[in-house]
Amino acid sequence: MECRSSVDIFTEWDIVAARQLGRNEAKSIGFGTVDQARITTAISELARNIYLYAGKGNIKIERTYDNNQYGITIIASDEGPGIADVRKVMNDGYSTSGGLGAGMPGVRRLMDEFNVQSEQGVGTTITAVKWLR
Amino acid sequence: MNKKMAKCIHENLDSILERWEYRMKDVEEERFFHFMPDELIDKTSREFAELMTSNLQYSEAINPEKLADFTEKVVRFGWSIKFVNKSIENFSDITFEIMEEEGVIDQSNVREYMKTFSKWISPHRNSIIDAYAVEWERTVKLQRIALQELSASLIPVFEKISVMPLVGTIDTERAKLIMENILDGVVKQRAEVVLLDITGVPVVDTMVAHHIIQAADAVRLIGAKCMLVGIRPEIAQTIVALGIELKDFTTTSTLQRGMQEALKLTNRKIVEVEN
Amino acid sequence: MNMRIPILKLGDILIVSIQWELDDQNAIQFQEDLLNRLHSKNARGVLIDLTPIDFIDSFIAKVLGDVINMSSLMGAKVVITGIQPAVAITLIELGIRLENVMTALDLENGLDKLQIELEA
Repeated sequence: MECRSSVDIFTEWDIVAARQLGRNEAKSIGFGTVDQARITTAISELARNIYLYAGKGNIKIERTYDNNQYGITIIASDEGPGIADVRKVMNDGYSTSGGLGAGMPGVRRLMDEFNVQSEQGVGTTITAVKWLR
Repeated sequence: MNKKMAKCIHENLDSILERWEYRMKDVEEERFFHFMPDELIDKTSREFAELMTSNLQYSEAINPEKLADFTEKVVRFGWSIKFVNKSIENFSDITFEIMEEEGVIDQSNVREYMKTFSKWISPHRNSIIDAYAVEWERTVKLQRIALQELSASLIPVFEKISVMPLVGTIDTERAKLIMENILDGVVKQRAEVVLLDITGVPVVDTMVAHHIIQAADAVRLIGAKCMLVGIRPEIAQTIVALGIELKDFTTTSTLQRGMQEALKLTNRKIVEVEN
Repeated sequence: MNMRIPILKLGDILIVSIQWELDDQNAIQFQEDLLNRLHSKNARGVLIDLTPIDFIDSFIAKVLGDVINMSSLMGAKVVITGIQPAVAITLIELGIRLENVMTALDLENGLDKLQIELEA
C-alpha cells in the first residue's frame, strides 16, 4: 500500500472533498467511468455515515497492489458510538436516520471487498477495496 | 552413479524415446500423437527427454526458462495434466528398464539406483507440474478475456430500437459488462427500446434473472425501455418454478414478436409495399 | 459554496438543469426552491436534467425521490432526463430503483414525454 491521502470529516462539505479526492485517485489509477462512479458513491456513503452517526472521523484513500492487481482502498474510520448490530445495518432497507437504508449494503455491492470492524463506544473502521479489472 | 546413468540414457536416447512414444500412444484420450506431424512429435519428445535429463549431469534444478518454454508448448498442444504425469512416469520406467537391459543396473546396486531415481524424478515431477499449472491458469485467464471480448454488443436495428443478443452462460462479471454495454449503447444509439434476446442463454436461474432485472432497471433510469425476448418454453418453466417476478417486464417468446411490440411502443409499424 | 440551481419556466413546465455536483445543503435548497416555484407559477410539469452529473449517492437520490413525490402531491408530473449509464449502474447497485419515475434520454425526449403526459 502506498500514496496515502486522507480527508477529515467534520462538516457536510468534507463529504464533497472526500469524494472528489476519491474520484481523482480512481481516475489516475485507471478506473473506467462506471467504476469511478461506484467508488465515488461508496466514499460519499461512508463519509455521510461518519458525519451523521459519529460526528467526525476520517476517510483515507490508498492505492493498493496485491497479487498482480491494482486497486483502490477506502478506509473510513471514526471514534463514534459504534454499530450495535453489524448484521442489521447490512440489511437492505434498515435505517435509523430516515434515509433510504441503502448505504451500507449498497457500498458492499459497489465495491469488491468490504469489511466492518466496530466496537460499541470505541468506534468503527470500514475498509472497502475495488480492484482494477 | 549419476554420470553413468546420464551416459546410458544419452547413448540409448533413441530407443527410450521410441518406447516412450509407443506407450504414450496408448494413453486414454490421447490426441497429440495422432494428429501432430511426425517431426513435431519427435522434436517435442526430444525436448521432453532433454528436460528430464537436464539435472542428471549437473545435479542442479531444471533451467526455469527451458521449463517455461516447454510447458507453454505442451499446454498449447492440449496435453492434459494427466498426460504430463503419465509422460514422466513412463519416461522413468523405460529408463529403468533400458538400464537394466544394458546391465548398468543389476542385483547389487538396484537399491541404490532406486534411490537415485526417486531423487531424480520427484523434483522433476513437481516443477513440471507446477509450471504446467501456472501456464494453464494463464491460458484460462486469457480465454476468459477473449470470452468477455466477444460477449454482448448492442445492435441498432431500427431508429429508436436496438437489440442485444445474449449467448452463453451469464456470470456476475459478464452481467456487469453486459449492463455497461447496453447502457452505453442506448445513449450512443439514442435507443428508446432495447430488446434483450436470451434465446442463446442455456439456463436462467435466480442469479441470471436478477442480473437481467437490474439491467432493465438501469435502462429505465436512463430513459429507455427494456424488453426480454427469446423466452423458450423450458426457460418460462424454470422462471415460474423459481418464483422469479418479471411482472414489470414486457416479455415475448421470439425476437420477431418483440420487434412488433417495440415498433408499436414507438408508434410505428411495418407496411408491405404494393408494386 | 451556496450556489442556487436556476429554475427556468417554459409554458407550464419548469426546467431544471443540474450542472454541478450537489452537496447536501444545495440539494435541500433546491428542493425548497422548486416547490416554491411550482406553487407560485402554478406549473403542471417539471423536467430535471442530470446530464452533467457523474454520480448520485443515496442522499441525493432520496432528495430527488422526495422532490418527485412532493411535486406529484402538488399536481405536477416530473420527468428526469440524462441520467448517465455509470450513474444508473451505481444507483441500481446501491439498491435505489427510483420506481414510478418518468425518465427520458435527453431534454428533447423528456419534453416530448412530458407534453404527452400533460395532454393525456
